[in-house]
Amino acid sequence: MSVRNREWPLALALAPVLILILAPFVWLLVSSFKTEAEIGRADPFTWPADLMWRNYLDAWQIGGFGDLVGNSLINLVGVVALSLITCAPAGYALAKIRFPGREWLFYAFILGLTVPVQAIVIPLYQVLFGLNLVNTLAGIVLVQVSNGIPFGIFLMRSFFIGVPDDLIEAAKIDGASHVQILTKVFLPISTPAVQALVIISALSTWNDFFLPLIVLISPEVQTLPLGLVRFASTYASDYRLVFSGTVISFLPIILLYILMQRRFTEGLTQGAIKG
Amino acid sequence: MAIPETSGSKVVAPLRDAPAVAGHTGGLSARMSKRRTARSASPDGDAGTAFWLMAPALGLYAVFTLLPIAATFWLSFNSSAGFNTSASFVGFGNYAKAAHDPIVWKSLAHTFVWLAYHVVMAGGLGLLLALAVSRLRITQVFFRTAFFLPHLVSLAVVGVIWANIYDPFFGLMNTALTRIGLGAFTQGWLSDPALVLFSVNLASSWQGFGLYMLLFIAGLQNIDRSLYDAAEVDGANSFQKLIHVTLPGLREVTTFVVSLAMINGLKGFATVFVMTNGGPFYQSELITTYIYRLAFQSQDHGLAAVLCILLSLLAIAITIVFNRWRARLSQ
Repeated sequence: MSVRNREWPLALALAPVLILILAPFVWLLVSSFKTEAEIGRADPFTWPADLMWRNYLDAWQIGGFGDLVGNSLINLVGVVALSLITCAPAGYALAKIRFPGREWLFYAFILGLTVPVQAIVIPLYQVLFGLNLVNTLAGIVLVQVSNGIPFGIFLMRSFFIGVPDDLIEAAKIDGASHVQILTKVFLPISTPAVQALVIISALSTWNDFFLPLIVLISPEVQTLPLGLVRFASTYASDYRLVFSGTVISFLPIILLYILMQRRFTEGLTQGAIKG
Repeated sequence: MAIPETSGSKVVAPLRDAPAVAGHTGGLSARMSKRRTARSASPDGDAGTAFWLMAPALGLYAVFTLLPIAATFWLSFNSSAGFNTSASFVGFGNYAKAAHDPIVWKSLAHTFVWLAYHVVMAGGLGLLLALAVSRLRITQVFFRTAFFLPHLVSLAVVGVIWANIYDPFFGLMNTALTRIGLGAFTQGWLSDPALVLFSVNLASSWQGFGLYMLLFIAGLQNIDRSLYDAAEVDGANSFQKLIHVTLPGLREVTTFVVSLAMINGLKGFATVFVMTNGGPFYQSELITTYIYRLAFQSQDHGLAAVLCILLSLLAIAITIVFNRWRARLSQ
């Protein structure tokens, strides 16, 4: 059976499914250009008479999206960088160095992989409060890094385990320390693992809602999802603002994904399989 | 796709070691990983270096995860009426209180229903679309990319989007149903107590299925081609090949996806919080949303801590059950 024979019938059959699944995006995008009256007329299948680019300008200014995007970016970069700095060395130690207590540490990290963050939220808040980190971006970065540490360590560790011990021996004969072995030998050959860690921690940080909801109280430190929810409930009756604000909050990541589709998919699957 | 070369005919050998995706937890691999650790450690025990390499991760993890886990346990035996009040020991008092709180039972029941919806809707759609998309050659990347788009949207934003989709006046759902002649199916999607959990879960599942689809596609690509050839020689039609080759070949990925979907479902919070805040009449209250309500609104920390313990136990139970299941599959 040739590929050609089944490609187009199947693709055609999938087209309606695709339309159904992407309908929310299209509806929102189209509606975001409508006037209040056009939205109120309740027919999603009409095209806006004029493209109301003003909706976006208004939403951006009223919702303070500039700050929200900025906070989300700071949050994202902080978590990704700190995750790499903490998880790569720990993963290396767990994979390649024998030390007392390793078994116990391993089980402690398993516990962190399993217990949902909602289940520890009260003491977590108290710890943050005690450290004066409530309502700070530093606070949200630290808890999110901690939350991702078990996964990150497992991911790095399972890649490092696959690197032959001979490489370590050889480097040691050349006088390299463990730190040098990690940075000069292991990390350079672990691009897939690093890529997976970056993509997975970036995506989960960018999208996180629960922890920011607890930690970030004032509008000026809030991240995008949190800010959008606040914005949408404040301006609930001004649909054109809600719609264009919502589009602002998902469009960048979708465009980014379409640009780096392959890397993204690889990182996610790789992380799932190797983690 | 980046499925490592290791697999061959052993379909998802690497998946066995796969505890987590996208920051979601799973933790299903203790036994396997332990064995591997023992084998590959270098002979010279350089404990001092190991300590310093572990220190940053361990420090953060101890302060922001391990300590709170222990404190939650402690808190569940104490009564506390807020963040600024001191706690007093009440033994199992909070547990007794939880047992007599009808909303605790409701939220527990809703959580189970919620998990079932998510596994069936998100996992099922992920599997069906993976089966279809993986047969495509020329247009595969296009469909894969497009079907994955919803997963990029933050669940809180999904909540905002779908609250509007369900809006009874201008929402996409009811207007579209009416327009295509299915006006009889229009509903108060979020106001009907019998329907609300399904409606909110549909939104979550719309966001979640893309990842499961990717994982199923990865699993499908690892099924040994020669099994299909053998089946064809035996005269199997496509349906028989699906039943006898494809589905058995996907068993391990399926286990993984189901456990991941359950753990993700257990953590479900944002869509409910944004769309219904547990209502109407607590009909969409989950354990997670009730914890939030108790901890940050009514400030009953003792009762909230009991629910936290319950949530943790559920997560650990799911992890253990699927770990066992997977271990048996891979024998």
